[in-house]
Amino acid sequence: MLATVRAVTVLRAVGLTKTVGAGRAARRVLDDVSLSVAADEVVAVLGRSGSGKSTLLNLLGGLDTPDAGEITLGGERVTNRSPRALARIRLRQVGFVFQQFQLIEELSGAENVLMPTRLPGAPAGGARRAARLIEELGLVPVADHLPHELSGGEQQRFALARALVNGPKVVLADEPTGSLDAENGAAVLELLRGLTGRAVVIVTHEPEAAAIADRVVELAEGRLVASAGRGPVAGRPAA
Amino acid sequence: MTALAAALAEARTGLRLRRRGALLTGMGIALAAAMLAAALVVGVGLGGGFDRAARAADLPDIIVRFSPQSAGLVDQRISALPDIASYSTRREFLNVGVAASGQRRNDAVAEVISGFGRPGYAVVAGHNLTPTGSQVLVELGFAQAWHLHVGSTLYLGGLGPQHVVGFTEAPDNVGFPLAKPRIYLSRRALVARFGREPNPQVNLAEIWLRDPRYLNEVLVQARSTSFGLRNIQFATRSGVRVLLDQAAGIVIDLLVALSVIALVTASAMLAASARAEVQRRLGAIGVRRAIGAPRGHIALAQGLEAMMIAVPAAALGVAAGVLATSGPGDRLLTMLNEPPPGSALILPLAAGFLASVAIPVLGAAWPAWRAAGRSPVGLLRGGELESRRGRGGRFGPGRSGGLAVLGARLVAARRVRLAATVATLGLSAGFVLLMLALASALSALETDPQALGKRYQLTATMPVRSVPRVNAIPGVAVAAPRYETEAADSFFLGETIDVIAYPGDHTLFEAPPLVAGRRLNGPRQAEVGVGLADALGLSPGSTLALALSSGGELRLRVSGLVSSLDHDGRVAYIPAKALLAADPSAPYQIAVALRPNADQSRVTAALTRLGAQPTVASGATARGAPLVATLRAILLAIAVVDGLVCLYALIQASTLTVQERRRTVAVLRASGAGPSAVRRLLLGATLAIIVPAGVVGVLLERYVFGPALSHLAVNYASLALVATPGEVLATLAGLAVAGVVAVVWVARQAGRESVVSGLAAR
Repeated sequence: MLATVRAVTVLRAVGLTKTVGAGRAARRVLDDVSLSVAADEVVAVLGRSGSGKSTLLNLLGGLDTPDAGEITLGGERVTNRSPRALARIRLRQVGFVFQQFQLIEELSGAENVLMPTRLPGAPAGGARRAARLIEELGLVPVADHLPHELSGGEQQRFALARALVNGPKVVLADEPTGSLDAENGAAVLELLRGLTGRAVVIVTHEPEAAAIADRVVELAEGRLVASAGRGPVAGRPAA
Repeated sequence: MTALAAALAEARTGLRLRRRGALLTGMGIALAAAMLAAALVVGVGLGGGFDRAARAADLPDIIVRFSPQSAGLVDQRISALPDIASYSTRREFLNVGVAASGQRRNDAVAEVISGFGRPGYAVVAGHNLTPTGSQVLVELGFAQAWHLHVGSTLYLGGLGPQHVVGFTEAPDNVGFPLAKPRIYLSRRALVARFGREPNPQVNLAEIWLRDPRYLNEVLVQARSTSFGLRNIQFATRSGVRVLLDQAAGIVIDLLVALSVIALVTASAMLAASARAEVQRRLGAIGVRRAIGAPRGHIALAQGLEAMMIAVPAAALGVAAGVLATSGPGDRLLTMLNEPPPGSALILPLAAGFLASVAIPVLGAAWPAWRAAGRSPVGLLRGGELESRRGRGGRFGPGRSGGLAVLGARLVAARRVRLAATVATLGLSAGFVLLMLALASALSALETDPQALGKRYQLTATMPVRSVPRVNAIPGVAVAAPRYETEAADSFFLGETIDVIAYPGDHTLFEAPPLVAGRRLNGPRQAEVGVGLADALGLSPGSTLALALSSGGELRLRVSGLVSSLDHDGRVAYIPAKALLAADPSAPYQIAVALRPNADQSRVTAALTRLGAQPTVASGATARGAPLVATLRAILLAIAVVDGLVCLYALIQASTLTVQERRRTVAVLRASGAGPSAVRRLLLGATLAIIVPAGVVGVLLERYVFGPALSHLAVNYASLALVATPGEVLATLAGLAVAGVVAVVWVARQAGRESVVSGLAAR
C-alpha cells in the first residue's frame, strides 16, 4: 500500500495549522498536521467531537484557509489561491459529501445531481454522467422526488452522486453515515469503498466507517497521533 | 407562567434571534405607514377643507352682489326679509393698486367693511380690524406669496401706507394666486383719508339665517323684494361650494382618489409582507407544534412579535408621512382659502397608525394560526414545497437552463411567498406608473388646451368673411367664427352664463367631456356645463332660458351636460344660428384648428399677413400654474415615498431570497461555483420576482388604477391616465436597476461569508 501511496499521491497536506476564535477564546484546532492520500486510497480520520476533523476536511477541500502549511491537490496548490481559483479547483477536483446531505430542497434528487454540471467551467458530458450515476446508485425510481420526499439513505446516495458527477480526483466525506441508520450507513460506506481512481478521505467517529478504510489516522488535540493500515479491498464498482 | 407571558417571552426571543429580519420588516412597515399617513394628510386635508373653512370663517348663508347702492336702501331691503339672524354689508372695489416689499400690482380686490359684525372670514394670524388706525387684513395666500407678515406696511390705492394687522381665509372664493388678491379694510380708514361720505354706498351683502333650512323661501322673498337693486347676483353657501368644487374639484378628487389607492396599496403590501414572513417560518412552527405548543400560543407569539416590530416602525412611518406631505398640502389648502386640518388629523392618523400595526399583526397571526393547524410532520418536511413529480422530464430540465433558471426555480418553488412578493412589488410599480401618468396629465391640463376638450390652437380677430382665406392657409385644418357672449338665466337673473356658439359642429373646435345626455344636434338645443346645471338644477331635457345682454331671449332644450374647467362650468354651447337670431351683433373671434404636425408659427405669420391678430389658445388652468406646481409637489412627495417602498420591497425580497438560501449558495460554492456563478443564480432569482411584478404593475395601472382615477376626473376633464411606453420603460428600467443593485450587493455579502458557515446555516 505504501508503494501505491508513493506512486500516485493525489492529495498532500504539509504542516497545517489552524486556530479558531480570537483573544482568550482562541484555540489551535490543528497543529502541524501532514497527510498524503493516494488515488484509490480510502483514508479515515477519526477523532472526538471538536478534535478538528471537519476543520481538516474543510482545509483539504479549499473551503477554509490554514494559518500555516501547504496543500496540493492533483498537483495543484490549494493554499494562497484566490476565491475564483479555489472554486475552479473544487469544481474539477473535489467532491464533498456532508453529514446533513445538503441537498437543495427546492430541486429534485436528479436536479441536485445535475447542479454541479451546470456551473461555468464544469467538464462536458455532465448530464450523461449524472444519468449513469443515478442508475448505478439505484435512484432512478425516485429521481424526480424532492429531498423531503426521500429517505435518509436515498438523500445521501444523491449527495454522493452529486459529489462524483464532475469526476473529482478527491472525495471528502464529513461524517457521511452520521444521519443514517446502520443499514443505510453500511450501504453508503460500501459505495465509498467501491470508488475507483479517486482518493477518499472520510472524517468520522464511527468505527464502522473506519473499518472500510485503507488507512486510519486519528486526530487528538490538533495533532495526528496514530495511524493504522489495512489491506486494499478488491471488487470496487466503477464510478 | 401565563399563556400571554409565555407568548411574550417567545416573541422577545424570536425578535432577538432575527434582528436583521426584524429590521427589514420594520422598514417595510415604516414605509407603508408613511404612505398611509401621506394619503391621510392629503385626503383628510382636502376632503374636509371647505367645511372647516366655512366653520372657521362663519360663512354666510347668502352672499348678494349688486351695483353700488345706498347702504340705507340695502339695510332696508335686507331688514324686510324673514328669518334673518344677522347681516353685514361691504363695498367691494376691483382693480385696486397694491404695493409692498418692492412688489406692485393693480388688480387687487379691496373690501371695505362697514361695521364690526360677523365678518364672513377667518382671521388666521394677527387680529381683526379695530376702529383705530390705518389697518388692513390680507388674504393668507397673498401674504405668503408676497412674504408679508403681521406688522408689514402695505400701500393700498390712494390710501397710502396701511398696517397689516392680520391674515384671513374666506372660503367664498379660491385664494391668491388662483384668484386676485383680497384685502379687507374698515370704512373708518376711508373716512380718515377722504372724509365722511354723505351717503355711503355698498355693493355686497352677507346674510346669515336663523334656520338655513328655509334658505329657498328666503331667496324667493329676496328676489321679489330686491327692487331698486341693480345687477343683483345671489350666491348661496351650497352654490359657493359648487363653484369651489368646479375650481378645485379635480384636484381634490384626484388627490383623494390617489390617497385611497395608496391606502389599498400600503395595506396589501403590509399583509403580503407579513404573510411571506410566516411562510418563511413554517419549519419553526412545525418544530413548536411537534413539541406540543398549542395552536393559539403559536399564533399569539407570532402576532406579538409582529406587534413589537410594527409599533415603533408604524410610529416612525406615520411621522415621516406627515412631515413629507403636510407642507405641500397646507400650501394647496391656502390657495383654496381653506385652513389646514390641524387636530382633525389626529383621529385619522391614529386610525392609520393602528391599521399599520393591526395589518401586519393579523397578517402574521392569521397565517400562523392556519399553518399551526397543519400536520407538524408536513411542516417539518418542507411544508411550503409541493411535489413536482410528473411535471418535468425524467431528470428534470436539461443543462440548457443554466444558473439563472436555477435561481428562478429556487424562488418559484415557494409559490405563496413568490405571489406575496410579486403582489407587493407589482402594486408598488403600478402606483409609480400612475404617478408618472398623472404628472403628464397635469402638465397637459396646464399647457395643452386639448386636454380639456379644446381642439383649436389659435384665435384671430378678423371678419367672418375672411374664414375661407384662413381655411386656405397651409397647416390649417378648419377655421370658423367662435361667438362668445354673456347671458343671464331668465328665471334667476343672478346666474350669469357664458354662451359659446359655432356655426355647425362645435366639437371640431371644442369638445368638453360629455357627462350626461348627448351632443346638441338641432337648432334649438344646448349643451350646458355641469357648474351651470348644478346652479340652475338643469338636466338633459330641461329648458334653458337665456336673457342675452342685447335684450333678446333664447329658449333652448338641454341636450347634454358637459364638464368644463372654464368659467367655473357655467357655460352653454348653442348653435350660432340661434344666437345670431337673438343677438345679431354677438362678439366673435375666428377659432383656428391646426392639422397634426402643422407649424403653428407659420400659420400665425400667415394670419398676421391677412391682417389678423392671432393669439394662442391656453389651457384652463394656465392661470393656475402655482396650483399645478403645488400639486406636483404633493405628487412628488407621495411618489418619493412610494419609490422608496418599491426599492425597499425589491431589496428586501432579494436579500431574504439569499439569506434563506445561504446554505444553497454555500453548497453551490462548495461544488465549485465562483462569484459570477453566484451572481447569475441571484440574477435569476431576482428576475423571477421583478419580471412578473413589472407585468402586474403595468396591467394594474392600465386596467385598474388609471381607469379608476380617470373615472373620478371625468366630470372635469378627459384625463387619459394610461402610462406612455416611455413611462412604462422608465419604470421597468428602474425596477431592473434596483434588481441589479440588489444582486450585486447581496452577491458581495454572500461572497464574504465563508462556505463553512453558510453550510451550517439553517
